Amino acid sequence: MSAHVTELLALAAAGALETSESERVAAHLALCAACAARAEEWRHVADGMRRLPQTRPQPVLVARTREAVEALVAERAERAFNRAALAFVVGLAWTLAIFGWFVFDLVAGELALRLARPIGSAAAWYAAYLLAGWLAAGAAAVMLGRRAQEEGRLV
Amino acid sequence: MDADREDAARLCQGDTSGLAGLMRRHQDRLFRYLLRLLGDTSVAEDVFQQTWLHVAERIRRYDASRPFGPWLVTVARNLALDLLRRQRPSSLDEVDEPLASASGSDPLQQAMARQSAARVEAALGGLGPLDREVLSLRFEDELELPQLAATLGVPLPTAKARLYRALERLRAKLLTGAATGSAR
Repeated sequence: MSAHVTELLALAAAGALETSESERVAAHLALCAACAARAEEWRHVADGMRRLPQTRPQPVLVARTREAVEALVAERAERAFNRAALAFVVGLAWTLAIFGWFVFDLVAGELALRLARPIGSAAAWYAAYLLAGWLAAGAAAVMLGRRAQEEGRLV
Repeated sequence: MDADREDAARLCQGDTSGLAGLMRRHQDRLFRYLLRLLGDTSVAEDVFQQTWLHVAERIRRYDASRPFGPWLVTVARNLALDLLRRQRPSSLDEVDEPLASASGSDPLQQAMARQSAARVEAALGGLGPLDREVLSLRFEDELELPQLAATLGVPLPTAKARLYRALERLRAKLLTGAATGSAR
């Protein structure tokens, strides 16, 4: 019994040989009874493997998995929307902040002219406006955070 | 395969009807593969669910020019092997079990005559996870050697050698089972 062909017998039963190797094995088996018997054993092993029970996932597992994935996809979509909304709000806030300076400068100058007396520095009024804006945004962020936490606890 | 691409594209856009199609076509093979690799139904069920969650999370990384099935198996394989490494680090070592000797052909032949798939399954359960994996991919998923090598992430000769070793170990287990059976 050739050692090399013996090694090939297992792979032959598994259908994992190249054509040239298969031909070599077939030629050898025609001449060697011992290897032919061994090849028959391997065919039994391979047949046993091919006839293994075809296990399937339980329908309840499939349904549970689908639900979990759908929840994940929905959560991801919501996160994407929230990110887009946040980017829009931040962009708007910066636009208003920059635009606000020109408005303040203009209004402060006009007001001072109409009242015919100085009303204080436009920069100081602008700083107060920004501070009020940031405080309001901070309070809104804290409130939203608390609400999200409470919702998280309820889920 | 086109249906897989269409469903993957749908899932990528957040449409979960794509998931239904992908699951319908691949769930049986995936579950069987995980069951063989992990050797435990409840663990296989957990990893099955995790696999689909990972697929939904990472579907944008899927290259639609390639078939979906092997990508799915790769995702499942990484999760399963991570789990096995955490649970039993030694379970993934290549075990050099003594292979069946050539002289054992007679008892094997007798045993094989009354061998049923259930006995092969029992012998398979006694193998290491990597042996079970390669045998399952070849015989149950019917992957050709090049696909098998790609799924395992190894060169083709390595895949072939791994398949051969797994077959020899399966044969050794069957022989041991046959010897135990005839001793009773």
